[in-house]
Amino acid sequence: MNKLFIGFTLAALLVPAALAQPPAAQDIVAAADKTRNPGQPFRLTNTLVEYIGGQARDRVVLVVFAKEDKQTHQFSNLVRYVDPPRDLGKMVLMNGSNMWFYDPSSKVSVRISPQQRLMGQASDGDVVTANLAKDYTAKLIGEETLQDADRQNRDCWHLDLAAASDEAIYSRIEYWVEKGTFHPVKGKFYSDSGRLLKIAYYHKYVEQLGGMRPSETIIIDAVDQNLVTTMTNADMRPQDIPDAWFQREYLPRLKVE
Amino acid sequence: MRTAVAFCFVLCAAMPADAQENGDLDRIPQAVQNEPAEPAAPQSNAHGTYYAEDDFALSSARGDLAVAVPPPTSSDWSNRTSLDAFDQWTLSERLSFTFSDRFSLTEADGIGFPAEASRNALREAYFTWEPVTQTFVEFGRINLKNGIALGFNPTDFFKANTAVSQASADPSTLRSDRLGTLMLRMQTIWDGGSATFVYAPKIHTPRQIVGADPGWIDPSFDQTNTTDRFMLALNLEVADFSPQALIYHESGRTKAGLNLSYPIGQSVIAYGEWAGGNAPDLIAEAIAFGKATGTLPAVAPVVPPTSASRAFQNDLAVGASWTSEKKITLNLEYHFHQAGFTGADWRGWFDVGGANPALAPELWYVRGYASAQQQPMSRHQIFLRADWQDAFVTDLELSGIAFVNLTDGSGMMQVAANYNLSDAWSLGAYAGGTFGGRRSEWGSLPNASSAIFQVVRYF
Repeated sequence: MNKLFIGFTLAALLVPAALAQPPAAQDIVAAADKTRNPGQPFRLTNTLVEYIGGQARDRVVLVVFAKEDKQTHQFSNLVRYVDPPRDLGKMVLMNGSNMWFYDPSSKVSVRISPQQRLMGQASDGDVVTANLAKDYTAKLIGEETLQDADRQNRDCWHLDLAAASDEAIYSRIEYWVEKGTFHPVKGKFYSDSGRLLKIAYYHKYVEQLGGMRPSETIIIDAVDQNLVTTMTNADMRPQDIPDAWFQREYLPRLKVE
Repeated sequence: MRTAVAFCFVLCAAMPADAQENGDLDRIPQAVQNEPAEPAAPQSNAHGTYYAEDDFALSSARGDLAVAVPPPTSSDWSNRTSLDAFDQWTLSERLSFTFSDRFSLTEADGIGFPAEASRNALREAYFTWEPVTQTFVEFGRINLKNGIALGFNPTDFFKANTAVSQASADPSTLRSDRLGTLMLRMQTIWDGGSATFVYAPKIHTPRQIVGADPGWIDPSFDQTNTTDRFMLALNLEVADFSPQALIYHESGRTKAGLNLSYPIGQSVIAYGEWAGGNAPDLIAEAIAFGKATGTLPAVAPVVPPTSASRAFQNDLAVGASWTSEKKITLNLEYHFHQAGFTGADWRGWFDVGGANPALAPELWYVRGYASAQQQPMSRHQIFLRADWQDAFVTDLELSGIAFVNLTDGSGMMQVAANYNLSDAWSLGAYAGGTFGGRRSEWGSLPNASSAIFQVVRYF
């Protein structure tokens, strides 16, 4: 009886203590991944607007087809440019290290490196659909109250992510995830040389494909101090995507209805 | 003291992240803050690309050539206005039609208006039928391109006699605008690979590569469909190499080909492209073609002297691309064209031309033939390409190319600047030239330098 009582008392004391502990860093990142990424193949329309010195300059509209690879758990993406007219029909395939750019005017597919992937507008998709928990080892730095893109205070876990596989596009990521909701609020993305490349703010959470997901990501270019890009996701819907689509020979075949 | 430290710790823990961490919020434009909370998908009904382009060119000629160029002398200026269209229409769930065309009007000294000034290039016009999911049957004029390299594509078996006038000498641009070939193409794609079969019929005898004067709307099948041709290609996604194996056959000539590429680290793509088969060398092939099309008399001698026998000829392009964090991409390639000129062939070319000027037209014909075939003239060359996106300012692209003959050190280079003024307008400027000794491949050409100014309006 006494042992039972002591055990009950210990449990009563320990449970609140356990509840007060934050989840494991890797679990936080995995939960944040699920917030950004639907658990099914999908397509969406992505509008990128580049602001130079605060003024909107370039607008690019992309249709993105995305599917999680069963082996790597990373998203394979097919990106097709639909606007402006000079870029219409250009395609980018991102399937692990198998990445190709297709230009309908030259009818040629050119293989691109991860570094080239970071150059084009389609590259900013990395900060949206990457499954970070798979390719990075996360460490919890602390808990902070951070302003989101709408200058609302958010209580966040501050995490430091180090690349743990060859598939990782960035060498290091600083990541702020809101406590409770597991909504990503902010990310800072670094190159191999330790250079800060871009800062991403995730906001405008709306219901999309069965979950609350950020409909807009603001990307502040850390290299070009005048450049800010917004990525707006709309028309997100389930899409049956055969694996055969994710190869270069399919690029000229992709139809966007 | 401990209490004070503890108080400070609690206070700090409860404070927002330091102001520095949110300092970047000030860089978010006000216009972004004012956007609606839930944006709608943008509407875009465009399915084709239409644009008008004007290219104004100036060029300077080289004097005192080692081998004189036969007349007519080319104009030292030109202006070309082009209308360009590429579109695709979905006719039913499994049937579509693709159309690609360019009409150009050229003004220059010595070009008669309108007969010689007007040219229409029907690049593509073909139907695509998908009878079974991921299996495609296509028929019509199709621009089929193979090859992973940039400067020379040994496996690009359908490139001969397809070039259309272009502002830039960059091979990437030249491949963008050329005539397709009338063909039947069948392709099936599965998870991890694809197979393609092509049959291109002979429907015309070949046109002369110099002196021909087709009508402005001539579809030029006498350039693209002058022999029966077959090709089989197999693509596989294997161990990151993305291999493509090809077999190509045309009247009495069979070639095999292979394309490979492989990523190295974050910034490098290494690639290689090979094709090989029995064929005569460039000189023998050019002279034979000239005689067959009536450009050269049947009794014309083979100059410079060469063997008329066929042998296994290898073509190879190996190289790598490297991309920096500052959006600069460099390509370096080595090209081996076994049928091309050796050092001895070049010496023979200059010796014959110097000793017997009457043979100059035939000597230049050989070089014109290689150009029409889009083959390197020489056996060994290197190719360099540099491209810098968003150079200094957003939407400015600076690029440069160079070909260098490894035997005589001569070469050609071009630098280009392209700037997107808006979604509708683009500006371009190109400057290029050739360098080398008087008895070298590039230093013997009549064109010393050129500059081109380009305006493009997209619709």
